[in-house]
Amino acid sequence: MEVEKGKTFKYLREKKGVNQEVKDNLKHFTKIKKVILDALKEKDLTVEELTQQLKMPKHEVVYYLMSLVKYGFVKTGVIDDMDEYFNYKISK
Amino acid sequence: MPGKIINNSFDALVIGGGIAGGEAALNIANNGFKVLIIEKDLSIGGKMILLSKVFPTLDCSACITTPKVSEISRHPGITIFTGSEVKNIAKIKENSFEAEVVRNPRYVNVDDCTGCQLCEEACPVLVPDQYQYNLVGRKAAFIPHSIASPRAAAIDIENCTLCGACEKVCPAKCIDFTQETETYHLKIKTVVLATGFNLFDPLKIPRYGFGQFKNVITSMQMERQLAPTRPFSTILRPGDGKVPDKIAYVLCTGSRDATIGNPICSQICCMYSIKQAQLLMGALPMADVTIYYINIRSFGKGFEEFYDQAKGMGVNFIKGKIGKISETDKGNLILRYEDINENIVKETEHDMVVLSVGVLPNPENSSFFPNEQLKLDPFNFVYQTDCLASPALTSIHGVFVAGTASGPMDIPDSILSAGAASSEAISYLTQKK
Repeated sequence: MEVEKGKTFKYLREKKGVNQEVKDNLKHFTKIKKVILDALKEKDLTVEELTQQLKMPKHEVVYYLMSLVKYGFVKTGVIDDMDEYFNYKISK
Repeated sequence: MPGKIINNSFDALVIGGGIAGGEAALNIANNGFKVLIIEKDLSIGGKMILLSKVFPTLDCSACITTPKVSEISRHPGITIFTGSEVKNIAKIKENSFEAEVVRNPRYVNVDDCTGCQLCEEACPVLVPDQYQYNLVGRKAAFIPHSIASPRAAAIDIENCTLCGACEKVCPAKCIDFTQETETYHLKIKTVVLATGFNLFDPLKIPRYGFGQFKNVITSMQMERQLAPTRPFSTILRPGDGKVPDKIAYVLCTGSRDATIGNPICSQICCMYSIKQAQLLMGALPMADVTIYYINIRSFGKGFEEFYDQAKGMGVNFIKGKIGKISETDKGNLILRYEDINENIVKETEHDMVVLSVGVLPNPENSSFFPNEQLKLDPFNFVYQTDCLASPALTSIHGVFVAGTASGPMDIPDSILSAGAASSEAISYLTQKK
């Protein structure tokens, strides 16, 4: 079967489909990414402050926030006076 | 499954592309033999390529591994199959084996991929990054890690939404979702088993709270935090992003413990924990680091001096056996332990606990040879039939063992073991010519 180069994803999507769990995971991440970035648009925040705003477990905030840092959406800001918690800011 | 079936022949089949397999393959290929490395992961380099520094010299691990990996990748006598598995090996006759190897699709033409990471940027999916031991996420279109070899993208098809974003942005047009599993039937003359080891899963000791308490991490997670290609900008608690101040190490997690089925010493945990403690004191100069141990086994060259150096830097060593770890409201951890010297039970609070997990055998070894008996030792590592005189010999003539497939050992010993295995394999190939 001839498959057009650059559009081979369509071939596999038709052949095997995409399971619901994978789609749900994408929706979940897209939603969390949006709420974290929206919160950081207002002001720079620490994990603790983000946790309070987003009502998510702290370790989940750390995981998603650090992933957003890794992919360049968020930057690490300054550390607090006790040298314990950094704040995080939107990458311009 | 099975897609294409391809026939080919090689002098030596090296199973495992870690530091031992790579060293053995290089030695054999440098003597003019045709070598195939089968690596189940997407990159060669094994666990060593993911380490921060090595003990006791504190040399950068990646700086040692990457030139070696590059030499292996560019060697004209070595063929590498990543993302591949050996299904079975049958001895046809003396000096001749037939192997069935399955090469899983990467959905990327490695030769064309430039490693530009535009696919990774475009991919909308986020899943835990196994190369950062789940401390951060990665995309479904991803390069395994920044010093991966080959440094080419791969598609995690189990988590891919097949949205096509990666394929649309790829300037090299190297993403190909029509790739299928390939099955290879290979004629080979000798086999080197360099399948490495598995790390102990601390979920098997629930009283340590791993998985439940987010600030209890494994030594490999700390290793990633200390590496130049780290997941965070500095050392942080995964539970709340705090910079830890009081860090505890629990040695012998999953080693020297008959209750979890591993009564032997893993040989590396004392020294890698001491190494990490020294690196932590460099990264966090104000931090208190305490190592809870049963015995410190600093048996190698320069190890005792390295241990003394850690004590001199201020690392606390407590001869104590941990009974239980519990968590406070602030995410701190209370270690309840028996102080072996004072013979009393004590409790101490720490910000973060690192479990120094032990070395377990790779259970795959026995499955490779359905028609032959690959003998294992009582702890399920590959049995060395002549441990003192010819440590690479196994119970199957023509099959040799390298590195931690034969038992726990550190990096220099793995490389020495690979040297022994490759010498035996070269001698075997030369005699049978």
